[in-house]
Amino acid sequence: MIKVSELTVAYGAVQAVRQASFVAETGRITAVLGANGAGKTSLLRTISGLVRPAAGTVELDGTGLVGRRAEDISRMGIAHVPEGRGVIEEFTVEENLRLGALHGKGEYASGLAEQYEQFPVLKERRKQHAGKLSGGERQMLALARALIAHPTVLLLDEPSLGLAPIVTADLMSTIKQLCESRHLTVILVEQNAKSALRIADRAVVLHVGSVVADDASSVVAADEGLRQYYLGIAE
Amino acid sequence: MDGFLTSRILSDLLYGVTDGVTISLVALSLVLIWRSTNVLNFAQGAMAMFATYVGMGLLSYNLAYWWCVLISVVAGMALGGLVERTVVRRLYGKPELNPIVVMVGLLLVLESTAAAIWGSTARSLPTPFSFEYWQIGGKPFGLSPFAVFEIIAAVLAAAAIGALFRFTKIGLQLRASALAPEVSRLLGVRVGRMLTLGWVLASGVGALAAVLVSSDISGLTPGVMDTIFVFGFVAAAIGGLESPVGALVVGIALGILDAFITDFWNPNYVTIATLALLVVVLMIRPQGLFSKRIARRV
Amino acid sequence: MTGRHPLKGLGDVWDAATAPLWALRIRHPVIWRFACSVVLTSLALLGTYFVDPNTNYNMAIAASMSIVILGLSFLTGASGQVSLGNGAFMGVGAFTMAIWANHHTTTPIAVTLVISLAAGGAVGLLIGLPATRLRGPYLAGMTITFALAFPNLLTLFNSWTGGDSGLQLPTLVAAPQWLVDLLGPGASALAPDDMWYADICIVTVGIAFFLMANLFSSRTGRAMRLVRDNEVAAELAGVSLPHARVLAFVVSAAYAGLGGALATIVSNSVSPSTYNLSLSITILSLLVIGGMGTLSGALIGGVIFAYSGSGVTWIVNQTGIDPYGNLATNLSGIIFGALLMVTILIAPFGIAGTTKMLTGRASQKRRAARLLPSRS
Repeated sequence: MIKVSELTVAYGAVQAVRQASFVAETGRITAVLGANGAGKTSLLRTISGLVRPAAGTVELDGTGLVGRRAEDISRMGIAHVPEGRGVIEEFTVEENLRLGALHGKGEYASGLAEQYEQFPVLKERRKQHAGKLSGGERQMLALARALIAHPTVLLLDEPSLGLAPIVTADLMSTIKQLCESRHLTVILVEQNAKSALRIADRAVVLHVGSVVADDASSVVAADEGLRQYYLGIAE
Repeated sequence: MDGFLTSRILSDLLYGVTDGVTISLVALSLVLIWRSTNVLNFAQGAMAMFATYVGMGLLSYNLAYWWCVLISVVAGMALGGLVERTVVRRLYGKPELNPIVVMVGLLLVLESTAAAIWGSTARSLPTPFSFEYWQIGGKPFGLSPFAVFEIIAAVLAAAAIGALFRFTKIGLQLRASALAPEVSRLLGVRVGRMLTLGWVLASGVGALAAVLVSSDISGLTPGVMDTIFVFGFVAAAIGGLESPVGALVVGIALGILDAFITDFWNPNYVTIATLALLVVVLMIRPQGLFSKRIARRV
Repeated sequence: MTGRHPLKGLGDVWDAATAPLWALRIRHPVIWRFACSVVLTSLALLGTYFVDPNTNYNMAIAASMSIVILGLSFLTGASGQVSLGNGAFMGVGAFTMAIWANHHTTTPIAVTLVISLAAGGAVGLLIGLPATRLRGPYLAGMTITFALAFPNLLTLFNSWTGGDSGLQLPTLVAAPQWLVDLLGPGASALAPDDMWYADICIVTVGIAFFLMANLFSSRTGRAMRLVRDNEVAAELAGVSLPHARVLAFVVSAAYAGLGGALATIVSNSVSPSTYNLSLSITILSLLVIGGMGTLSGALIGGVIFAYSGSGVTWIVNQTGIDPYGNLATNLSGIIFGALLMVTILIAPFGIAGTTKMLTGRASQKRRAARLLPSRS
């Protein structure tokens, strides 16, 4: 479970996140929605430790994360799939997965087999350079690489970006299935609010860095007044 | 057959390979540092020289040559790690100019300090290999025991580094830290330590090159690595600063070219020819011959 | 007027008195610079009459080096490129002066200086043309290769360059008779020569700095700074990147050559071992310590260079090190290298730059305070 309290993130004079507070429950998918620049990516980067907040706390099952280095937070079981997937193009698929497994839990060989079972296309292309993969395949690789470490928390930054609707639908159902089978805490940042709301249990809506809604996803989806914030029409 | 083996052409070729191999090592060390931290270490030769003085200084305590070689390489690695941690760390994210200037300053400091401590006169090292060229039918053949030692040492070092990078977990992390530092951190890789390790390994390679060069007849002086460093840089630049293979290949090629120029022309033309070659290659293909990246735009 | 600081009245008087000068500076910058150059140069020339020969000698050295530093300052400060070959370009000018003077003894000094300047610029063009497409480290590496090739070049032409022992100037560049008479019979034998060298160097510095100041503020100079800071913007503005870069390189090489020629005059000889890589690094070090991209920084660097020898001697005497030992011989290298590193890491703007920043803030505060209503 991830608990964010009064989190404030600033880049120089610009406040990207203002006193944000919410809880992402274990075994549940929490969607984070909002327009471009609402602070969603900054939020994730602060949780995973790439960015230091100006104020506030982040807790993983009661343990404070703020002030720790990103590589240490990762080893605590938090996997962050960044915007753009972060697949290392010069490495092969298998090298990417190997890298992901290095500092995770569990045995490499069985972990690898597990991921190949989940994503057969990766097994087919395992010796290919990641730069040659399509968008959807890269997304799968990024996911597999995150999962091979057996994390307890999964932070996903816009996984549907650049993907065709069919692929997105597939991806979302995969995420849901993984969250349930592995009992993960998933925080899903998405521009594609519809798809996200369909699989999420809870939804947090950000507007210019502040939390304007934090409720069950069905409630947020039904609220017409909130749509302006995540469809980017608000002023 | 005899005629060919002792011919001028083959001799020059072999001299060239022997020289080229040390140039390759220096070029390789520059490429390693460039790939991991995007810094062109102008002090690389000077650091290697200093480490060699430290190691070889122990000869006066009756330590055997081989121990001194080992200590020189270890000293080089330690110096590399120290420089990365204290000096280069502060330069990440600053303008491109700063690391160049700082490393050049370090070059001057190291050379002057070495001269201050150990003097500028050449010291010959008690290399256990003879410099006499083997004879075939009474005529000299282009290799001596020392030359063979040089070539074997360099090949082993390069192979070891290559194997480390390609086949080990540490190598995977080193490559990842250089290619995608942020993503690597998110996967639990201690990128900071990998950067330091990159410098440590590169400086070890550089120190080995300095040991080989100083063990040669002309001996160890504070300026012994100046020329080799420049040749190493030229080889790395022509091969492409990102390409270790390019560094090795061009290094040897450059050594061979220089040997032929010295023999058929005039030794003074060597540096000038090297400069001309650098200019020509960089004008045609600014990213280097073996580089896969896009060209350096104006 | 209660609560008003007494010194503020003085500040008002000062501002009123200097207002016309400010107007001149802003409206007619070239005339302002010309006037400044003439005034400062004349004062300096006057000074050479009164000081002792040793100081004149040091001033001459400082002046010649400051021109070299100014050239590098233009390259690095104005267009953001690093050259490690300016010691070699200095050598080009130095040897050109010596060779020309040996073969054409009647050419006036001013002409030979211009020839040396041109020689430096020409070699700079040769090296600079291919360098246009290169990024920072590659350019620096190329200049270091040139610095290393330069001694070989000199050896190849040793019939002209005199080989390892170098060249002497044919007739000792001696002070003209009117100067000797001016100083009178009481002066030491060296005094007129040292004063003459200092005068030549000071006049050259005046002219060189004046030209550089204008170049720096001209459209060309601004274009170069744009190239340094933002290449895309420069390209959009229609600036030719290669042209700007080559020009900066040529100018810096030309100035280095000029400085080298002056150095030859002052020492009456030239030797190849002087113009090595260590010198190039020292020049860079002086530039950084003095302050990149400023005129005063180049002057400061020159002075530091001139007195570095005595500085080292002083340190050696204070600390009791053996003056003939290895440490003493190499102390200047250690100090300059260390200062270069420390300055870039801690105070990258050097002495002149940091002072400008501090006094700039102080005078801005004063002017702002006068504009705002004072509290009573």
